[in-house]
Formats: sequence, structure tokens, C-alpha cells
Amino acid sequence: MAKIIVVTSGKGGVGKTTSAAAIATGLALRGNKTIVIDFDVGLRNLDLIMGCERRVVYDLVNVIQGEATLNQATIRDKRTENLYILPASQTRDKDALTPEGVERILSELKEEFDFIICDSPAGIERGAQLAMYYADEAIVVTNPEVSSVRDSDRILGLLSSKTRRAEQGNDPVREHLLITRYNPERVDHGDMLNLDDITEILSIKLIGLIPESEAVLRASNQGVPVTHDNSSDAGQAYADTVSRLLGEEVTLRFHQAQKKGFLSRIFGGRR
Amino acid sequence: MSLNMDRENTAFTFKGGMLPMTVMELSSADPEEIRAQLVSKISQSPAFFQHTPVVLSVEKLDEPHLALERLCAVCRAHKLLPVAVRGGADGVKQSAWALGLGWFPPTEERARTVESVPAVVPAEPAVDIAVPGGGRVYRGTVRSGQQVSAPDGDLVVVGAVNAGAEILAAGSIHVYGPLRGRALAGIHGDTDVGVFCNELNAELLSISGNYKRLEDIDPALLGRAIQVYLNNDHLYIEAL
Repeated sequence: MAKIIVVTSGKGGVGKTTSAAAIATGLALRGNKTIVIDFDVGLRNLDLIMGCERRVVYDLVNVIQGEATLNQATIRDKRTENLYILPASQTRDKDALTPEGVERILSELKEEFDFIICDSPAGIERGAQLAMYYADEAIVVTNPEVSSVRDSDRILGLLSSKTRRAEQGNDPVREHLLITRYNPERVDHGDMLNLDDITEILSIKLIGLIPESEAVLRASNQGVPVTHDNSSDAGQAYADTVSRLLGEEVTLRFHQAQKKGFLSRIFGGRR
Repeated sequence: MSLNMDRENTAFTFKGGMLPMTVMELSSADPEEIRAQLVSKISQSPAFFQHTPVVLSVEKLDEPHLALERLCAVCRAHKLLPVAVRGGADGVKQSAWALGLGWFPPTEERARTVESVPAVVPAEPAVDIAVPGGGRVYRGTVRSGQQVSAPDGDLVVVGAVNAGAEILAAGSIHVYGPLRGRALAGIHGDTDVGVFCNELNAELLSISGNYKRLEDIDPALLGRAIQVYLNNDHLYIEAL
């Protein structure tokens, strides 16, 4: 039976889709049969990040409304074995999602996959609530800034009340904190919240810390999840995150500023 | 474009809601007596009288003919908005409707009708214990957007109250953790209550309608263990 993991944040633009794509890729690279579902109906992006936008025929809404089967709508990733994508519809809005439809799709996928990653839209409305409703675990993506932390706090409140696990009184959704766009130098300057402040406010377990990195933007624009770029800091940080998700103990990296050498201090070398 | 088309047939949706509502329990039907007492209440907690919607409860009155229109006028003159009437004889019900107010059956009857509806109990993963005397103990983090209240007594939170969260109590509030949200004690007008916390960073502190915003709080007190109390309608914050 598959584990359903929602990637959510409340606030937009913090890196939900990037993280969902990178984590799904990482899980598949480790041999787990994984599907990543875009719940952002109307503003679909996941297909771009995954580099499969030219192969979309049917989407999530088509399947919910019975116009296509799951097999027709899921797209097999070309680079990674075991990885599949279920894209969102761009021409509809989130009202097209129904709880029954989402439940039917997830239970069908559960038979076949090891991991189902739900890429939530921003906000706390219907789309976001449906993305989290059936989740077993949640990855809450947070940037080191106050507004993002507050929105994550709000989402954590919803996870503990507006999910099926909460409503049926089962074990609560397991919550993981993923901090993205972390820049240790700017934290040291006081421009960004530091790691301890964020974990203290949100009081959930940290599963990963992704440094602010040019590799992420490059990966997004090329449509190749950053996990494939294992020479980059962000790619390695996502690989660490995946290991922790699979239950391994991995030491935290990239959270301290690198001491700059004499030359790079003079020439202001770019990271 | 597609938005308009999809929404064409739904000008509105009905949603169930449980809103906090002030009930004004009348023990006198004399508008002049009520007016006199309202004036003294306003001086006690002016913040409360800001077009607050109230339900006029006439359950404890035994008067078939009520000067409902005059009662409403008195309330409105003191910035209370009567929205409905609870209890009373058929005549009261009819005159409430005539005035454009709602009517609720008396409490006992209501309790019975509510029972027949299957109750939806929201699961609360945080541990929440009702204590004797109407108080409440809440263990866990109160998160942004959440509201925890003890409408009949003290509220104890063992954990953090985060920014954007709101905790309310008829009695005192104790937070064993950082208080970053809003804390309102004495919500029914009790002035002998306090707010206590381990680490002050509250957005708002209030006792019985007297409040201080984060901006009004002496920065030297931030991050410290404090108590808040009311003295002569003045809110004092003191380090513990």
C-alpha cells in the first residue's frame, strides 16, 4: 500500500512544486514506484518542472469526471524509472475537484504505487484542503521569513483538524518541516530567520534544509528536477531529505555559512 | 471567462457556522431600568459596545407582552445590535419577526432538537481537558488561525500560542510557553483576572475589554515571563 504524502505550505512561491518534483524523483531513484500529482488545477506547473509538458493529453480533472482512465492520464517520466506524473488541468478551476473523485483516484493508485506525492496549490481553500485531506504524511515547505512561517503554522493547524485522519480520529498526519531557500550568510546578517527560530515556532521535526541555490532555478527552467544534479548543493540536500523520509539518519548540511577564502573575499566570488 | 460560466448558477452557498454570540439575559422588562444599567456597563468595558450583535433572551421573564421595540431601541442607542430573541410566548415570537429579528426557542427545547441531529465532533489531536469549575487545559501548540476558548473559567495552555492564534477565557489565562498570539481574559467582564505567560510576545493582551497591542508594550518586557492585571481600568504588565 502506498504512502500518501502532501507537499504543502499555505504561502505561494516557497518551492512546493520544486520540492514535490525533487522528492518524487529522489524516491523513484531509490527504487520506489512513485507518482506525483499536481493538485493546482488552473495553474498547473508540475509538468513544466518535470519537463513533460509536451506529453500531457489527459489530466486529473478528466479522470475525476470519467473522461479518461488513470492509465491514459498518467505520464511516465523519461529520465527516471518508476516515476509517474499526473498533471493538473490548466483550463478548469479548483471547483472541478471533488472529494469522492480524489478518493477514488488515490485508492486506485494506492494499489499500484509505493509513494503518492500530492503537490498542493497555495492557499487554504478547496484545492489545498483536498490535496491534504487523504494524506498520511505532510511535508510543510517553509522559507526563512516571517510570513511563510506564519502560513505554515496555519497549514499545520488545518492538518490537525481538516484531514481524514483527524476527522476519523486515527493516528495524526505525520508532519515534516522542509526549509527551502536557506541562505546561511543572510541568516548571519539577520536578513533571514534562522533554523532554530523556525523549528521553535513550528515545533515539528525538520526533514530537510535546502540552501538557496542557482541550481534550483536552472533545474526548473530546464524541466529537470534538481535531484538529478547531484553535484549541486540543492540536489544533495534533496537527496538527504529523501533519505530521512525513508527513515535514515543523515546529518544536516548546508546550514552554516562557508568560511570564505582570502581570494574569494577579495574578488567576491559567486557561489 | 470559465470562472463566470461555472459560477453562473451559484449566486451563494449555504454554510453552517457556529459563531460566538453574546446573549443578553433579561431579568427585567423595563426599558428604563435596562438603559440605566447599560450606561454603567459601557463605562466598565467600552470596547465591548462596538455594534456587538446580541441575542435578547427573555426566557427568565414571565411577561406575555414585551415592549420589544423599545428594548431594541435602547440596545441600539448603546451600540448593541439585537439580531434575535430567545424564548418567550407566541406573542413575543410574532413581534420579533415583525421587527425583522430572528427567534430561537428556549434553551431546553433547543437542546432537545439539537440532539436529534448526528453530532459531528471535530477530532482534536492536541490533548484538551475540561477541568472542574468550567476551566480548560490545552496541551499542544495553538497555531495561527486557531481559537481556543474557556467560556466559563480559566484557560491553561501548556505549549506555545503562535502569532495569529487567539485564546480567550472568562477567567484568567495561563500560558506555559511563549505567547505570540492574542490573549483575551475576562471576556464576560470579570476584572479580577489575569494573563500569565512564560515568554511575552503577544500581539494583543486584554482583560475585560481593556487591551494593549504589541506596539504599546514596553520592549523591555518582551521575551520575559510576565503577568498582566487590571487596576482602575488600567492594564499593567509586570515581569514575574
